[in-house]
Amino acid sequence: MGIVTVLWEKWTEFRRDFYKITVSAMVSPLMYLIIFGMGIQTTSHGEPYLHFLVPGIVSMATMTGSFSAIAQNMSVQRLYEKALDQIMVSPTPLWQFILGQVLGGALRGLYAGCVILLLTYPIRTDLIFNSLSLFIMLLNGMVFSTIGLVLSFMAKSYSDAPRYTSFIITPMSFLCNTFFSTEQMPAGFRQAVAILPLSQTSSMIRAIANGQPPDVIGFVILGAYLVVFGLISMVFIYRKKNL
Amino acid sequence: MIELRGLTKTFGDFTAVDDLDLRIETGEFFGLLGPNGAGKTTTISMMSTVLLPTAGEILIDGVPLTRRANEQKRKLSVITQEYSMRQDMNMEEVMEYQGRLYRLPRKVIREKTEELLDFAGLGEYRRRTVRHLSGGMKRKLMICRALMIEPEILLLDEPTAGMDALSRRQMWNLLRKVNNNRMTIVLTTHYIEEAQALCDRVALINRGKLQKLDSPDALIRELGPFAVDETAENDLKTRYFQSRDEAIEYLSSAGETAALRATTLEDVFVVVAGRKLEGR
Repeated sequence: MGIVTVLWEKWTEFRRDFYKITVSAMVSPLMYLIIFGMGIQTTSHGEPYLHFLVPGIVSMATMTGSFSAIAQNMSVQRLYEKALDQIMVSPTPLWQFILGQVLGGALRGLYAGCVILLLTYPIRTDLIFNSLSLFIMLLNGMVFSTIGLVLSFMAKSYSDAPRYTSFIITPMSFLCNTFFSTEQMPAGFRQAVAILPLSQTSSMIRAIANGQPPDVIGFVILGAYLVVFGLISMVFIYRKKNL
Repeated sequence: MIELRGLTKTFGDFTAVDDLDLRIETGEFFGLLGPNGAGKTTTISMMSTVLLPTAGEILIDGVPLTRRANEQKRKLSVITQEYSMRQDMNMEEVMEYQGRLYRLPRKVIREKTEELLDFAGLGEYRRRTVRHLSGGMKRKLMICRALMIEPEILLLDEPTAGMDALSRRQMWNLLRKVNNNRMTIVLTTHYIEEAQALCDRVALINRGKLQKLDSPDALIRELGPFAVDETAENDLKTRYFQSRDEAIEYLSSAGETAALRATTLEDVFVVVAGRKLEGR
């Protein structure tokens, strides 16, 4: 099965670069936790700010973990290593290759999120993270893996992948319910930010962390992103004439 | 059997391959020759589905080759001009990845990896990552990878580029051997003597269009199997003759700088490509 082959490829990559992957998953979120959660001591909605921040940082870590695992890697494989040619000519069904990439990327995102959960465990925030939280993290990772795939298929040079991070991932990291509630944003802009996938993930994980049920609309929005970008990546790999 | 029917590929205003019709028989060693930018690599890229044609189609055993045609693709293996491999994998991982993509059993993958890497003299470097290999070793690894799946059709895009003369000869012997096992081989090369030594038939293409198609011997016969080179004022001019007598007669009337030799496929290439260049 092609999916298993891609997951094997991702596993060899993870095994080889374990320390690099783990450290890079930790550095930025850890800085945010130290600066905003511990350095600048404040409260949000009557609670310590750290209680608000941790679910947002976990969501953000799954996003960046998944996106960078796919967007950067696939751009290099396609444009520099030309390793995608090997896949294209092989009899492995290309939809299985796509699905394997999406799952592999999502697992990398889940790993990054779990690293943050482990790091924040000693803080004793009493926040709840259960199997549903893990599922949402995985779903978020799948969404950003498909976005990463589409962008890597669109990339025209090696420098495009970091550009996508600057244009898409960095603004989402700061705007999408990670560091502050979108309730304070002006009308219109608030709604636009609310339909972005990271906003929904942060909201759902934060709701579970506070002992409340997640909003079902969040699953619908994440599912819609997954389907739309999944289909676009399929169209690219099957139809793009100069891949 | 491979058929190219009206194969065309354009990039914006530039036509890289222009209405190319070819028929390559099963077990044939077929060469695609042409100057830089003639459309050889583009043709091979379409035959490996990395590029999709703008018009026309490719059929393998009568079935159109598309990105969804997995059974057709199973028959194909390609060695690209560039080193198309994951640079961070070691040789064993490269081979295992290939085996898994073609759904070979694990036992077969292990056996084939050992056999092919040892055969190519790469056995002791099996744990070395691709980025730490020399160009020649990467090229050999790509050949091992391509042969691992025992393809029916092998597409070779400049397979000996960057190899020294000895390695190139070793490669020729290897290719002859695999072709004797009835594998169809399509080769593009800049080394004309390589095509002459290996290919049953060659297609000369220029600016994406087919110029000549025949066996190397037939193409040489058509031009004239005897060549006389004349050097005058640093300018080399070559005349071709159908018989040795004609060539000797001309030689006796030419100056001391003239020399008789056998015509090669390179002469055919130079004449065809040169004629096109003059016609631009």
